[in-house]
Amino acid sequence: MMRSWLRGLAVAAMLLVSMPVAAQEKTGSKPGFTLRPGTARIVLMRPSIRVGSQSTGGMFEPNADWTAQARENLARALNNIQAGLGNQVIVYDESTTGEGALAAQYGNLFGAVSESVIEYQFFVGNRLETKKRKNTFEWSVGPGLANLKSLQNADYALFINTNDAYGSTGRKALQIFAAMGGIAVTSGIHVGHAGLVDLKTGELVWLNADRQMGGDVRTPEGAVKRVTQLLEGFPGKPGAAQSSGK
Amino acid sequence: MRRFLLAGALATATLGHSLAAQSQSTPLPSFSPAYQPTSVDERGMWMEADEDERRLRDSPLVLRDEALNAYVRRVLCTTVGDNRCKGVRVYIVEVPAFNASMEANGTMRVWSGLLLRVQNEAELGAVLGHEFAHYELRHSLSAFKRARTATDIMSWAAVLGGLAGVNTSLLQWSVIGSFYRFNREQEEGADLLSLKYLASSPYSAAAAANLWQHIMSEHDATRVGRKRKPHQRYSAGFFDTHPTELNRATYLKEAAAKTGDSSNELAANGYRTAMANYLPRFLEAQIKLNDFGGTEYLLGQLASANGWTGDLLYARGELYRTRGNPRDLVSAAQFYGDAIKAGYTAPEARRGLGLSLLRSGQMTDGKAALDEYLRLRPDASDAKAISALMAN
Repeated sequence: MMRSWLRGLAVAAMLLVSMPVAAQEKTGSKPGFTLRPGTARIVLMRPSIRVGSQSTGGMFEPNADWTAQARENLARALNNIQAGLGNQVIVYDESTTGEGALAAQYGNLFGAVSESVIEYQFFVGNRLETKKRKNTFEWSVGPGLANLKSLQNADYALFINTNDAYGSTGRKALQIFAAMGGIAVTSGIHVGHAGLVDLKTGELVWLNADRQMGGDVRTPEGAVKRVTQLLEGFPGKPGAAQSSGK
Repeated sequence: MRRFLLAGALATATLGHSLAAQSQSTPLPSFSPAYQPTSVDERGMWMEADEDERRLRDSPLVLRDEALNAYVRRVLCTTVGDNRCKGVRVYIVEVPAFNASMEANGTMRVWSGLLLRVQNEAELGAVLGHEFAHYELRHSLSAFKRARTATDIMSWAAVLGGLAGVNTSLLQWSVIGSFYRFNREQEEGADLLSLKYLASSPYSAAAAANLWQHIMSEHDATRVGRKRKPHQRYSAGFFDTHPTELNRATYLKEAAAKTGDSSNELAANGYRTAMANYLPRFLEAQIKLNDFGGTEYLLGQLASANGWTGDLLYARGELYRTRGNPRDLVSAAQFYGDAIKAGYTAPEARRGLGLSLLRSGQMTDGKAALDEYLRLRPDASDAKAISALMAN
C-alpha cells in the first residue's frame, strides 16, 4: 500500500526505459447497439480526473489548479458535444437516497471491468477464449444497478477518467540530453478512458481507452478536443448517421 | 501521500545518537487549526488526499460503529489535545495488521489489527500521536519533495554520466540511501513528538516503548512459529523506511525517562471494555492470517490481563483446529470445551468442538456436539455440509 514513489526509488533505473506501445484496439461497443430514440438521458458519474506535471525523474506532481480547470472544461465540453447529439447529460446526485457509497462501489466495479476489457479484449493477442468470436462485446456490471433509486431518471451511466502529467521543463531537457546518448525518455503521460453502461441491464455497451490522448485539458479548446477523442465510437441513435465522436 | 507507522519497520545506528538532545521536555510546537495549503506541491497533495478520502469514505472496509469511532477519537483527543484533534477525520479500517497512517489533509486511518494489538489507551495514544505528528510536521510534503529531488539527481546522473562515459552508480546509490535515511529520520521525529503529546496528556509516556516491546515479542513468536530464528536488529537496513523496532523501543524508553512524566495512567480497563464487542471479530481475522506463533502470543497477552475468557478460549480453539495436527485437534477440543464452560454461548463453539472430535475419531461425542450446533443454529450456512458429515 505504500506509495509507488517511495518504493519506486529502488528501481529508479527503470525511469529511463521507455515502454513500447503495443498494438491494441482503442474502442469497442456492443454490436448492433444504438441509443434509445429521442433524448437519451445520460448520467455522468463523478469523473476521476488527475492533472499534474511529470518531474525530471518521472514522478507525478499533482496540480490542484490544473485539475480544477480540467474538471470544469471537460464537463462543459461534454455537455456541449452531447447536446449536439441530442442527448442530455445529468451529473450524478445521490440526493436523499443515501446511495452514494453504493454508487461509488459500482464506479469501482466499472473500473475493474474496463481494465479487463482493455486487457482481455482490446489486446487482440491476449483475448480470452470466450472473447475470441467476431463481433462480440459482452461485459456487464450486473443488473443490480437498475435497483438504484438515484439512477432511475436516466437511461445510461457515463464513466470517464483521465490522467495527465505534463512534462516539466526539466523532464524535457532530460529528454533532449538523453536523446543525444541514444536513450529514449518519454515526456508527459496522457491517458483516459470512457465507458457507457446501460442502466436497465447493467451491460457495458461501449468503452474507449486511449493511452496517448491529445488536447490540453487545462484549456477550454483542448478539453473539447479531448472529449471528442474520449467519445470516439460513442453509440449513435437508430437510423441516425454515425456522426458521433468523429 | 500517506505516512505509515510501521511499513518495513527496521534503522541506522547514526540515528540513535541524535535523539537524546531533542527529547528534553520542551513545550509542544504551536499549532494552527484549519491550516490551508498554499504552495503548488502542497495543494496538489491535498487534492490527491481529498480524492483518496472520498473513496475511503465509501469503502466497505470502514467500521462505522459510532461508539467505537467516538472512543478512538476520544483517545486521540486526550493524547494530542482537543484543539489539535478537532479537524482530524478518523477512519477505522478492517485490516488485520498492525498499522495506522495519516494523509496530508488530515485523514487518519486506523487498522483493526492495531486495535487488537495495543493493550491500553496510552499505547493507542502513542500510535495515534505518532501519526498526528507526521501530519503536524507536514512530513508528506517534505518526503515528496525529497523523493522528487532524489529522482531528478539520479536521472541527470544517469543521462549525463552515460554521455560522458562516467560510471555514476556510486552517486546513485548514495542518493537512494539518503532518501531512505531521510524517511527514517522523519519517523523518529514523529516518534519523539508523539512522546511529547503523551507527556503533556494524562497518559503515561512510558507506554510508547512498551508497545514496541510487545510488537517485537510478537514478531519473534511469529518467526519461531515458522521455524525461523527470532531476530531483532538495532540498525536499519539500506532500504528500510522506518527505524527498527528495537531501536524505537530503545530511544523511546530513554526519551520517556527524560520527559519527567510521572503519570502511570494507562487506562487498560477502559480499553478492554471498549473493544469487548469487537474482540471476537478482530480475532477471527487474525486467525485467518495463518500465523500460529504470533497469534498464540497475542492470545497469551490478552489473557494475561483478564484471564482466559470464553472469547479467547474459542479463538484459541479455532487457531489450533486451523493448524490441524492430530495433537492440535486434541488441544482444540479442550479449548472449545473450556470456552463453553466459561460461558461462551455462540453455537460455533459446538461446531468447532464437534469437528475437532470427529477428526480425532471420537465419533459419538463429535456427532452430539454437531447435533447441538445444528439445533441451536438450524439456518447455518454450512448446515448441509455438517449434516452430510454426521451421516457418515
